[in-house]
Amino acid sequence: MSSFTIQSRTSGSIHILELNGELDAHTASHLEDSLKSLIEEKQFNIVVNFSRLDYISSAGLGVFMAYIEDVRSLGGDIKLSNMSDKVYNVFDLLGFPTLYDILHTEEEAIVKFTI
Amino acid sequence: MSSDSDHNDDRHARFELRTLLDTSRMLIESHDLTFVLNNLLLISMGKLFSSKGTILLYDPTRKQYQIARNKGRTGLNDGQYLSLNLSEQLRSKSIIHCDKDNDGSLPEPFSGSTMCAMFNMQTSTRHIGYLCMGGKANRQPFAEHELNFIENLVNISAVAIANSQLVSELRSTNLQLDRRVQEMHTLFDLSKEFNANVDLEPILKIFKFALLGQMFIRSFFFIYDRKDADPQVVVQNGIKGHFSTDEVRQLLNVRQDVTRTSDSLRQRFPLLEDNGIEALIRLRLQDETALMGVGKRATNESYSEGDFNFLQSLGNLALLSVQKTYLLKERIENERLEEELSIARTIQRKLLPDPIPSIPGLQIAATNVSSYQVGGDYFDVLTRDSGTYIAIADVTGKGIPASLLMANLQAMLHVLTPTSESLSDATSRINDIIYKNTPSDKFISFFWSRYSHETRTLTYTNAGHNPPLLLRSGSGEADLLAEGGVLLGAMPSMIPYKSADVTLQKGDIVVMYTDGVTEALDETEEEYGEERLQKCLLCNASLSARDILNAILEDVKLFTGNRYSDDITIVVLKKN
Repeated sequence: MSSFTIQSRTSGSIHILELNGELDAHTASHLEDSLKSLIEEKQFNIVVNFSRLDYISSAGLGVFMAYIEDVRSLGGDIKLSNMSDKVYNVFDLLGFPTLYDILHTEEEAIVKFTI
Repeated sequence: MSSDSDHNDDRHARFELRTLLDTSRMLIESHDLTFVLNNLLLISMGKLFSSKGTILLYDPTRKQYQIARNKGRTGLNDGQYLSLNLSEQLRSKSIIHCDKDNDGSLPEPFSGSTMCAMFNMQTSTRHIGYLCMGGKANRQPFAEHELNFIENLVNISAVAIANSQLVSELRSTNLQLDRRVQEMHTLFDLSKEFNANVDLEPILKIFKFALLGQMFIRSFFFIYDRKDADPQVVVQNGIKGHFSTDEVRQLLNVRQDVTRTSDSLRQRFPLLEDNGIEALIRLRLQDETALMGVGKRATNESYSEGDFNFLQSLGNLALLSVQKTYLLKERIENERLEEELSIARTIQRKLLPDPIPSIPGLQIAATNVSSYQVGGDYFDVLTRDSGTYIAIADVTGKGIPASLLMANLQAMLHVLTPTSESLSDATSRINDIIYKNTPSDKFISFFWSRYSHETRTLTYTNAGHNPPLLLRSGSGEADLLAEGGVLLGAMPSMIPYKSADVTLQKGDIVVMYTDGVTEALDETEEEYGEERLQKCLLCNASLSARDILNAILEDVKLFTGNRYSDDITIVVLKKN
């Protein structure tokens, strides 16, 4: 079975989720739980750091789709950063970059919230 | 002067050659269509001193021309499609002079007022389109060498355009292929996860994520038309409003595998309109169907045939898993029922006397064979001071309802006996209670008796039960114990039940039985019947009560070929 973990930390008022391992149909609900609990805690400024994510499937991508609009309507955003080429290709292939913010580094993503 | 002008011409020609060479190198190396078109247009406008120009690209699938690039006041818009039905003669020309060549087949704005010349762009294999140029700003005609230059440029550009079209086609094919590969990954990812899950909820959630992630579908619904159940929406996302069962049923009448929702369909189902449902996808698996409705995609892309193929695969996969969870739930439910039934059976078994009490001077043998887990047959032997009560009963119907009523009767008998009342009065009371307790289509046929050892008398009341056989010792024919009244539970006790006494002599036999015995069927659907029962009894009259009972069972078994379809209960008494 695929392994997937999430480390959670904050940088000022911004919440950062760091993904490790493989995000697929099996582990998607894990990410969903994390996003849900952030929303419940009214943490709407979220950066997801992909630097240690090895693989993402369409179902994994679907989790972002499912929550990004909610977060935006609450005045926040989910910004994505530090993707490997392999992971970025999946986002790109499906047309994600036209709809959402994908940044090179976590710092850039954090700065984007302040503009 | 002339040498100067020769020199000038020479320089000019070299400059033009150089421009062509540079341009061709640039164009051949570039696979960027916009760049190629821009260059062609700008160089041509510069060369011809023209303030307007348009490039038309031929689209072979639409058989139309698209305005690919447009500069100056041409009255045309980029991206616009138009039809050009040029005469054969015009089409064969490499340069069409709009004014003098016009044979009537040139439409506006190419007929001469706006445009001046159209250069046919073609490669060795196909027609690419036209470069259309407006006249010189100084209203002079185009010079021969200028036209030659543009012709050359157009030829080089045509190859470059063809190349860049090919490259962009390849890119888009590659992208499509990559997407298909990703779709395969998604289906594989999902089938793995669906297989690992037995609960409906996580399966539907993953299905939602896949639709969102792979297809950017925010609003969708999935109707499952389960066999032997009402169709229902098992999962939906981003859908405003609620489908009524009636609407769901009507939607399921959609017969095509893929339906792009038409205006009239949207009008019939306002929910499709309100939620922007663009397509309905019908799924079939064995004899069950599902219908998936998908709304606009977040990327605003329209659905292609390939997308529908993917949605069908994904939908079928989901339907299969949804079916699986329902079947599993059903099986668990069935297993639970089975377990409860087997507990009920144990309880019911305990309601029958075991062991059967022994009575001085009277042999008693009894059996109950149930073809169901629980049934409606009942017999009892109760020893009381006032005597021994021997009862047999048969509740209409089978299974749990019959067994409940049987338990009810058993409790009544146990509480009512010993009774100082006569059997007939007690039967009336039992009947009134049963009548009140049961629905009108439930009855009990009931025979009970009290045997007094001292007087050797069997007093009985028969409430609509198959009359037990009384075979006197040495007699060749059995009497029927039929005195009594109607079935229990049929009507209130208005007419009193009768009772009768028989005194038992040594060797007398009483056989009580339920209709499972006489109505047992053989292969030709013929009933075992009372006659065979009597005959069997006569043949075995010399045996003990236990052996007579076994002989009857054996005979019925032989007759039916070992397949009774009902409960069978037999009680045999024999006076010592």
